Amino acid sequence: MDFFLLQLLTGLASASSLFLVAAGLTVIFGVTRVVNFAHGSLFMLGAYIAWSILSRLPRTPEHFALGVLATALATAAIGALLEIALLRRLYRAPELLQLLATFGVVLVVQDAALWFWGPVDLAISRPPWLRGAIEIAGLRFPFYDAVLIAVGPAVLGLLLLLFHRTRWGLLVRAATQDRDMVAALGVNQRVLYTSVFALGAGLAGLGGALALPQGSANLQMDLAVVTDAFVVVVVGGMGSLGGAFLAALLIGVLQAFGIVLLPKITLVLVFLVMAAVLVLRPHGLLGRPQTAARSEAEALAPIRPAGAALQAAGLASLALAMAAPFVVGPYLLTVLTEAAIAVLFAASLHLMMGPGGMASFGHAAWFGIGAYAAAFATKALGGGLATGLLLAPLAAGTMALVIGWFVVRMSGVYLAMLTLAFAQIAWAVSFQWVEVTGGDNGILGLWPQGWAMDPRAMYWLALALCVGGALLLRRILFAPFGFALRATRDSPLRAAAIGLDAPRLRLAAFAIAGAAAGLSGAVFAYAKGSVFPTYMAIPHSVDALVAVLLGGVQTMAGPIVGAVAFTVLQSWLLTSEFWRFKLGLLIVLLVLAFPGGIAGAAAAAWNRFRRYQP
Amino acid sequence: MLTVENLHAGYGGAKILTGVSLTIAPGEVLVLLGRNGAGKSTTMKALIGLLRPTAGRIRLGTTDIAGTEPHRIARLGLGYVPEERRIFPDLTVAENLEIGRRPPRDGRPAWTPERLFTLFPNLGPLRDRPGNRISGGEQQMLAIGRTLMGNPSLLLLDEPSEGLAPVIVDQMQSAILALKAEGVTVLLAEQNLAFAARVADRAVILETGRIVWEGTMTALAEDHAARARHLQV
Repeated sequence: MDFFLLQLLTGLASASSLFLVAAGLTVIFGVTRVVNFAHGSLFMLGAYIAWSILSRLPRTPEHFALGVLATALATAAIGALLEIALLRRLYRAPELLQLLATFGVVLVVQDAALWFWGPVDLAISRPPWLRGAIEIAGLRFPFYDAVLIAVGPAVLGLLLLLFHRTRWGLLVRAATQDRDMVAALGVNQRVLYTSVFALGAGLAGLGGALALPQGSANLQMDLAVVTDAFVVVVVGGMGSLGGAFLAALLIGVLQAFGIVLLPKITLVLVFLVMAAVLVLRPHGLLGRPQTAARSEAEALAPIRPAGAALQAAGLASLALAMAAPFVVGPYLLTVLTEAAIAVLFAASLHLMMGPGGMASFGHAAWFGIGAYAAAFATKALGGGLATGLLLAPLAAGTMALVIGWFVVRMSGVYLAMLTLAFAQIAWAVSFQWVEVTGGDNGILGLWPQGWAMDPRAMYWLALALCVGGALLLRRILFAPFGFALRATRDSPLRAAAIGLDAPRLRLAAFAIAGAAAGLSGAVFAYAKGSVFPTYMAIPHSVDALVAVLLGGVQTMAGPIVGAVAFTVLQSWLLTSEFWRFKLGLLIVLLVLAFPGGIAGAAAAAWNRFRRYQP
Repeated sequence: MLTVENLHAGYGGAKILTGVSLTIAPGEVLVLLGRNGAGKSTTMKALIGLLRPTAGRIRLGTTDIAGTEPHRIARLGLGYVPEERRIFPDLTVAENLEIGRRPPRDGRPAWTPERLFTLFPNLGPLRDRPGNRISGGEQQMLAIGRTLMGNPSLLLLDEPSEGLAPVIVDQMQSAILALKAEGVTVLLAEQNLAFAARVADRAVILETGRIVWEGTMTALAEDHAARARHLQV
């Protein structure tokens, strides 16, 4: 019984921290519809700023509270700046582009924090009052945990008061329901949005500051926190404060018991909960179907077959790519091989995202499953390169078919989050099932034998598979299946009315995309000679997203241009100091300059040029 | 009070308004008539700024408001009541009214919920009812009331009689006449000619995005040919 109570209290304390971050995220999403990937970065900044403030203050409870409050205000100001400088310009842009921009911010903040605070984890020395314990039902329980348990409901109460009892809160709630109407009634939405963003950022900073005494400010906390916060927000229902609180309680408590009872499951537990909730309640615990807050939705320009000029350019670059091994050195050849693989990986995600209308946050899962399938084909079955390349898309495609059955029924952010959940589960399996996957050490020595040992041969193989794969995916788009898929994306109701089976079409697209990604993973496994769990980790999924969005979702050439550009950029920047900062800044600038992606901007410019021709 | 010159607007590639020009004098009720798709609602949206005009001028008093953001236009005194009413569904009747509240203008008495409940007696007992739990007629009254809370000097009413029971339409009529008596200028878009005839002073008729007829309601009543050509279906 004692154990039960103690774990419960520990769970409630961590639930409070989870709620603080998730509340900010859900408030921001509810009003601005921005999925703020940089929310974890604001939390991290909160922890660092709190360290800077608290380590200079006397260690009394009063000064602690003051320092935490000052931190929240400082992060709120940073949030306001972020909204004014960046997000404000993107409200009319596609949702995913905002996500990409905020991901750029994540990179920038990471290196900015590294530059400013250094690489060492920073902790504050805890005065006795912080280390003390109180007695609850005869049990000694850490005092600070008790403080945290109280903070969560207190913040929830204050937020509910703010949203239901003040004019500002009323305006915000009205804006979540119909922003154009609020504007037509004379309300300046810019001020509203900036203040909402500042509030959300302040909550994140508060969470970071309050987390500091129990741990440290470090450079890894941003992504860890933002995934947890996403899960809480999605489980609770996007935009619902009460839902976020419930979800935080559920996840916090489950985790507290999970760590003790089933230590192996902790990495996946959160995502298992999310998957289970979303399958049962597709809009989260207290969420409601997403209504389009934008009233005048912009019609997507249809994807058209490439014109003669573009085809010529494509052929020319293909010829150049084929001749490359005769001119470039071994390092550049590796980069080009990776670029070819990235093209197929991105093109497969593009099929899902563009024509399929399903933005996946967990595309790396299929890549990883393909890579591991190739590894098993080599190690366990003793098969050669051909066996691996055949087995990989088969395995990834089959898995995608199974998982896709759950996924294709959802839409928007919920779909993205469910794919992320499955990717995290796949990653955790590869990470923790050490006997089979080798865990973090991966599986090594997968170099192919015979002709493919030559890096140049490997490059040509990658090029052939990637070009072949990408062309095949393109062919699919202009087949009746592709038209049906695009019709389903553009107007689900009308498509259903003419007899198209939307879930089935989407499932087929999902499986095809999964198989193609699996193939790219297998080629990568052979090119690198090894597989690791990181192939399935979130950053790798983000790589594919960045490539597709950078290139432009609504063009065929988009993923190709984007993947090559991103791979080359990354390998070029990787060698320089503060490469994340530069890359992040570049992503942000590219998003601001080319909201339609590089290929999209080029296509628009070409069309303008053509129009002025006599 | 409001002068529109050669207004062009549309959605994406579709041009809806191809040169709308009209003038509204202070204190008058002008009705915008025309068949479905003629551009009545589009004109309204362009005036309040929810749709950016591609060409033309909109002068409110002496300021050109074409291309200005909706909230600025609203603050200059334009009040917009959309055809779809667009009540905030999760907010109560009282909260919906609060969203529209803005400071009074030109020394006229400010609208308050209490004054609105005398203009629309049906709304009074519904104060705490959520916006999606009231009837269509009540929603229409609430939509007008919400906009009046901003104390507009010019009210844009987009088809207020649409889909309402005759008894509610009668209430709408007396409400609009009461507003007129208070000195509020009204631009009304309507398909219901009988309703328009009872409240409006003058009419303009829109056809395929431009004004094709203009005159007093009396003149319109006598001009059978114009009614047959532009309004009958």
